Amino acid sequence: MAVDTVHVPLEVYRFQPGTDPAPSFRRYELDLAPHTPVLSALLRIRAETDPTLSLRYSCRSAICGSCAMRINAKSRLACETPVGPEIERHGRIVVEPMANQPVVRDLVVDQSPFWRDYRSIEPHLKLDPYHPMPEGKPNPMTPAEVARFHDTPRCISCAACYSACPAVAADPAFPGPMALAKLYRFVVDPRDAAHQDRLVRIQTEGLWLCLRCHLCTEACPKDVRPSERIRDLKEMAIAAQGATERGSRHAVAFAENLRGAGLLNETKLVRQTFGVLGTLPQLPHGIKIWRKKPEVAHRPRPIEGREELEQIYRALGPEGGR
Amino acid sequence: MQRHEVVVVGAGLAGQRAALAAVQAGRDVAIVSKLHPLRSHSGAAQGGINAAVGAEDSVDTHIFDTVKGSDYLGDQDAIEFFCREAGPIVVEMEHFGTIFSRSDDGSLARRPFGGAHFPRTIYAADRTGLALLQALWERLGSENLTLYDEWDLTRLVVRDGRVHGLVAFDRTNGEFQEISAKAVVLATGPAGRVYGRTTNAHSCTGDGIAAAYESGAALKDMEFVQFHPTALLESSILITEGARGEGGLLKNASGERFMVRYAPHVQELASRDVVSRAIVTEIKEGRGFSGPYGGYVHLELMHLGKERIESRLTEICDFARRFAGIDPVTEPIPVYPAQHYMMGGIGTNVRAETNVRGLYAAGEAACVSIHGANRLGGNSLLETLVFGREAGIAAAAYASTAPTPEMHESDLDEATAPLRAWSSRADGEDPSTLRTELQRTMEEYVGIFRDEAGLMEGLRRVRELRRRFEKVRVVDRSQVYNLNLTDALETGHLLELAEVIVVGAFARTESRGAHSRTDYPKRDDARWMRHTIARKGPSGPVLDYAPVGFTKYEPTERVY
Repeated sequence: MAVDTVHVPLEVYRFQPGTDPAPSFRRYELDLAPHTPVLSALLRIRAETDPTLSLRYSCRSAICGSCAMRINAKSRLACETPVGPEIERHGRIVVEPMANQPVVRDLVVDQSPFWRDYRSIEPHLKLDPYHPMPEGKPNPMTPAEVARFHDTPRCISCAACYSACPAVAADPAFPGPMALAKLYRFVVDPRDAAHQDRLVRIQTEGLWLCLRCHLCTEACPKDVRPSERIRDLKEMAIAAQGATERGSRHAVAFAENLRGAGLLNETKLVRQTFGVLGTLPQLPHGIKIWRKKPEVAHRPRPIEGREELEQIYRALGPEGGR
Repeated sequence: MQRHEVVVVGAGLAGQRAALAAVQAGRDVAIVSKLHPLRSHSGAAQGGINAAVGAEDSVDTHIFDTVKGSDYLGDQDAIEFFCREAGPIVVEMEHFGTIFSRSDDGSLARRPFGGAHFPRTIYAADRTGLALLQALWERLGSENLTLYDEWDLTRLVVRDGRVHGLVAFDRTNGEFQEISAKAVVLATGPAGRVYGRTTNAHSCTGDGIAAAYESGAALKDMEFVQFHPTALLESSILITEGARGEGGLLKNASGERFMVRYAPHVQELASRDVVSRAIVTEIKEGRGFSGPYGGYVHLELMHLGKERIESRLTEICDFARRFAGIDPVTEPIPVYPAQHYMMGGIGTNVRAETNVRGLYAAGEAACVSIHGANRLGGNSLLETLVFGREAGIAAAAYASTAPTPEMHESDLDEATAPLRAWSSRADGEDPSTLRTELQRTMEEYVGIFRDEAGLMEGLRRVRELRRRFEKVRVVDRSQVYNLNLTDALETGHLLELAEVIVVGAFARTESRGAHSRTDYPKRDDARWMRHTIARKGPSGPVLDYAPVGFTKYEPTERVY
């Protein structure tokens, strides 16, 4: 029995910093069964036509996290991306190294920024010296407590989320989706004694730099849903400490501000986020806007249907709208 | 040159556990690994880790099951130690932060596994290896040690029967480095990639086993290779034994639950060698399915229901959907046996000591032996932790009194000479050509069923490939992440170890556990209840035999 194949043109990023003047794409053409993973295609290129192509790979079953790369612009695992649908959609397969990490060679990137950010959230259990672990016995933990981890234990540290994240690209202070999903895993762990400290610390160290674009959740091959866990962390941080940071104050102010009229009162929002004194440096900017659009200074008139909005707020409960 | 007291090669569970023990003993420790520790193949282990913690279960039953599972080739004294340590070391991993699956009462959930009398396998959904690897790495993160990740081991430096260190190179810049060490722990995993159809990662190329063998360490029982009954058709991705533990059924092309004929008492939950032989027999005798990727049978989970499949077998559900386009909730999974585990390895005792002073081994790279001729599911994760720790303790103790290692200037030159030769050749064969031919050869002649003529032919071919390897050529001349060089190094290791496997299989004229000779179908305790010991000689492996450690379990016929 023969297997049907499709023609697969691959354009693969090639670059060796220090040796090559600039990155380039090399084109390879293969005929492959549609379900063939991109990784198998790349390994066939290495075995049959070009042993100098460099990439990371190991388990080929989406569990070691080695082969994340950008395939037709999306950050994902090469071992579980079949060629067929890519060819159907794009007619070719463009393979590039992950973003937000410097290229070592070809598809291999330097992951030290990713590992550093992961370490920065102190990913290990912190124990309460007054409540030691039960001697010789496992800690009890109910299935409901296990369920609170959601899918964060499935993380394989592949860094696809890190590569997809625009906040990582924009601000080195943002630890990235994986580190925050990992932080969440420790915050909900009943064995960890440092929930409060972890939440307080992350409020000032990057939590609010997340842009809520959900690209991490889209990129994650393991359904860890980092953006949802980041949202949970924000709620927990405000619940634990109140809205003490610019980011959390902004979130709370935004929700309350909107509740009144159904439209933002931007002047008030700035004051609530930055505080009265903090608003002063923003004044020249505000004046500029006011000159062009004087209506921003007015209190917005309530919109139609704001009663329905109120119902939504009520349904969301006391933490609603954040 | 770098200097450390204890150097651990390999950063999977065994290596990390060894490193932790050695650091806790106050030694200066380094880990050398070709992968980042979290990318180690330990993370691919799915089903679980055995510990007899249930009220109905007992350590004695775990011992008996393991001895029987080993087809009486496991060392009973070692197995007793191993099973006694199981409970405490699993609890320790829980305290380190492992997120295990739980029962309603909050205790560690357990599932039944092949060859075990009681549900004894503690698990974290179907990603137990990943859960343990994360927890151990995160625990190790608060300790002070040096990590050389993405470094390839080139050679061990052994003189006067004692280890002095090793030579390795950093993939990111191609620099060869000497690392002097009073003690070295090899925890480099198996050489599963001698076979093409394998559940093992591409990185499982037996680097540490080959390095030990080349420097005079004795290998043990290398002919015992486990084939996992249920690998996904074509990709050979592992479908955990937990799938059968949860109630999955094996069916042939006529829809018959054929395991009833091969293992009337426990059917699908017979030991792995038994189930693998049954599947191959069904296919050979025309009762399997056939297709472009060869013969296969069906693994059915549908009757378990969507909720149970998706919650307890999350990863394999994903695998089947993504890699085979099969939804296990509504369709059977096409499976065949594939190489999965090496019972053999670097010969050690219970303290993880090899025959070379200062050299220790643990995990799948080692052979204590607790698995004998066939490993039970759930015992390998346990082995990595129990003997990883033993190796770390023993290496640290030895290093605290060992003399200063003596690295010579010539060591670096000698270790790197072959690699430089590969890279300076104008023509020659690519390592991947040789690797592919080796994998086909081993599958055809040294697979699940073996016989004299086939093994003879296999040996001839492997030796021919070894001759061709002398002219291997590395075309990539870059210093940076030169995978072509790594390919050549790994292929050399695979070829070396394949020869040991075939020679051992040829000599062992009996069938025991995973070693099944159609020309010698019976187990022969009078002649063969002994370990194969292989040492490197001038023209291939030199075999010797050693007695099996015996306490009280009399060998009987193995029926499931």
